[in-house]
Amino acid sequence: MTFTWKIGGEAGFGIMTTGLIFSKISNRLGYCILDYIEYPSLIRGGHNAYEVCVSEDEVTALKKEIDVLVCLNEETFHKHKNRLTSESLVLYDQEDFDFNYDFKKINIPLKRILTGFKGEAVMKNTIALGASLAILGGKIDVLLDLIADQFNKKGEEIVKFNQQFAIAGYEEIKKNYSALIKSFLVEKEEKKERLVLSGNEAFSLGAVAADCRLYAAYPMTPSSSVLHTLASWQEKTGMIVRHAEDEIAVINTALGASFAGVRSAVGTSGGGFALMVESLSFAGVAEIPVVVFLAQRPGPATGMPTWTEQGDLLFAIFSGHGEFPKIVLAPGDQKEMFELTLKAFNLADIYQTPVIVVSDMYLSEGHKTVEKEWFDKTLSNYKINRGKINFNSNLKIQISKPKLKTEIFLRYKVTDDGISEKIIPGTPGYFYQENSYEHLEDGHTTEEAKPRKTQVEKRLRKWQTYLKNDFQLPKFYGDEKAKIVFISWGSTKGIVLEAQKKLKEKGVLTGFYHFNHLYPLDKERISQLFKKDKRYLLVENNALGQFGKILVMETGLAVEEKILRYDGRPITVDEIIEKI
Amino acid sequence: MFKTMASIQDFTGYQPTWCPGCGDWAIGMAIKKALVDLNYSPDQLAVVFGIGCSGNMNDFLNAYGLHSLHGRALPNAIGIKLANHNLPVLAVVGDGDCYGEGGNHFVHACRGNHDVKVIVHDNRVYGLTTGQSTPTSPKGYRSKSTPMGLIEIPINPLALALISGATFVAQSFAGDINHLILTIKEAINHKGFSLINVLQPCVTFNKINTYQYYLKRVYKLDKNYPKDNFKLALEKTLEVNEEKFPLGVIYEVEQPCFHEQIPQVSSSTLVDKKRFFNYDILIKDFI
Repeated sequence: MTFTWKIGGEAGFGIMTTGLIFSKISNRLGYCILDYIEYPSLIRGGHNAYEVCVSEDEVTALKKEIDVLVCLNEETFHKHKNRLTSESLVLYDQEDFDFNYDFKKINIPLKRILTGFKGEAVMKNTIALGASLAILGGKIDVLLDLIADQFNKKGEEIVKFNQQFAIAGYEEIKKNYSALIKSFLVEKEEKKERLVLSGNEAFSLGAVAADCRLYAAYPMTPSSSVLHTLASWQEKTGMIVRHAEDEIAVINTALGASFAGVRSAVGTSGGGFALMVESLSFAGVAEIPVVVFLAQRPGPATGMPTWTEQGDLLFAIFSGHGEFPKIVLAPGDQKEMFELTLKAFNLADIYQTPVIVVSDMYLSEGHKTVEKEWFDKTLSNYKINRGKINFNSNLKIQISKPKLKTEIFLRYKVTDDGISEKIIPGTPGYFYQENSYEHLEDGHTTEEAKPRKTQVEKRLRKWQTYLKNDFQLPKFYGDEKAKIVFISWGSTKGIVLEAQKKLKEKGVLTGFYHFNHLYPLDKERISQLFKKDKRYLLVENNALGQFGKILVMETGLAVEEKILRYDGRPITVDEIIEKI
Repeated sequence: MFKTMASIQDFTGYQPTWCPGCGDWAIGMAIKKALVDLNYSPDQLAVVFGIGCSGNMNDFLNAYGLHSLHGRALPNAIGIKLANHNLPVLAVVGDGDCYGEGGNHFVHACRGNHDVKVIVHDNRVYGLTTGQSTPTSPKGYRSKSTPMGLIEIPINPLALALISGATFVAQSFAGDINHLILTIKEAINHKGFSLINVLQPCVTFNKINTYQYYLKRVYKLDKNYPKDNFKLALEKTLEVNEEKFPLGVIYEVEQPCFHEQIPQVSSSTLVDKKRFFNYDILIKDFI
């Protein structure tokens, strides 16, 4: 059974926290979830909503119908009633509003309970959570535990005070609506331990596990929660998190730290990334490793800050003036986010160049359950690879021998793979410079034609090495023989997978190439994947079909049929099915 | 580890390309002499260079160098210091570079008391791009970019640094190399954000602020000048409005620097720290 629970109310009244608690409740009871939030770019007065799709098995996409809608105000009902069915349960307070539609009405006297216990407005949410749990057949204990986790620091009295609202909501259902109680959230006997992770949290965990030691950022939705998460951990992890004066300072702080030898990353969204690209080019020519986390939102300019889009792919791929190698990755879900973040830090060091990890609001802020066992295994399999950055290498031993004079280190030595050795500044006996100007092997500025050509070619050779050693072809899902094949990248993955499942139920077999290593692309190997006698459909959350353009440019493959969405909302499973 | 003392020669890289008579020669030599006097060798410090004639010192000064972008040297310097606070970090920048393109970074670097030493070549003109006016050019200054005369009044870098929280604010003059050496040594020995605004003639493009112009108007602060008096220092920084240029350390106080207030690097530098492995304490939040 897969069901959707959704709560809505006025912005500023804790809807986000409440939704996340519902996701955690479902997880603790043994279920998988995928959640999605809708909120305006303001603090008070707009409409907030949070939906959680719950199932016994992995959830990869949202569901069309809402099974339980919790209305903390009337607006919620009207905004979302088009997704209700006659079987849907609507939890609301009749003192607040009423409706005449054929849905299952569940009146919860939120106001009365609140006044009775002298609660604050935000505690309505706790009543609603208690009621939701009751109507879905779950036990109250798990909610009481989560409330205790949240308020333990404030003392037992506060915990008890908050818990009474949950209990009141729960009892109200048990007393008056026992006939409507479902068994959707009955605690599972065999439970897998899982983590409820947003894309941003998966990136944050990946950064810590990859031994990123400096993270710099300037707040920008939807990337900000990476800044918050890493900042809140820094005393434990030892990472330095700098909120600098602007995104230009952000990336240059990271480049300075990276020059000095520590793994460094920055995070931002489109507008902030625009400010960074000047220095991205600096990182390219000076060969400074850096990981850029780019969480897209709809542009141009300020656009729609709290909504989703895949509109900055071309911008990311072509970011920075001049010609230099960069690597662009785009995880499809939380697991891939964790894996590719780990990989991104290795790639940045191995190739001594910027690596951009592209996300979007849908992936960054939505949560999904990830098995703890998988997480632990991925962690234990991970090995840090700093490539030719000689921190603890033989070279260090060699150079620690007494020397009478310091000598220049050939930082940009020309090599077959395009990658030069780097020693950490401060290493005794040597010195060198990293240079934003074109330079000789020793870093000295040059304008001579021959060394210029040599260095350009050396840098660009890194791409060849990458394609040979680290590039991954798109993953294929579905039926090899299918004549209908989807192509997508990044966060649309789960939605296409769900559409494939639905189509299969109808007897339509499909295939699906999902790209997460987006740039550079390996022309030879990708071209071989595509066959003339098949129908290809490009699925992207933007207006131009940006990845389609990259495919044509890099491989000559033109995908004519496109399923595009660019109204700030994620593509739905039905939209894809309709096109088949 | 055995090491002989470094000499000026050890710090000397390629042959400079500055114009004959340019103030950059004196600044370049003073930096090297100060480093030798303080017993550093090229492997023991990091220097970030901006873009401009000043930044071109990257090729003439041996050190772990980072030749940055125009205006961006300070955040790079901050990053280096955060990563390895045992490494002395110098920033060699120009007035257009540091007060114009990088003005925002300058103010915030002062605020943070980041332990970087900023040596600004203030020649009141863009030399490398052939003579346009800069944020320190006087009002009415005629240049290629302001042929009818500059409308803005000049920025006051010393006052700006002071009110923004810099803990070491000094001024020196490229025409007095001994003073320059001394001031650079004081800046390096200071713990915290240090600004030396170096008055420097551009012999090619600035025909107003010449050696003669400055020689008539600079004066050295008295030996008994109290460096820790903020109000007095502010008054000194305003003398530029009367075309008077005090030379020396105008303000110096000891305050904790940025990195000293970060517990993560209290017992080790960031680059030398042991790797974090205790992931279980982080993932509790996700269950």
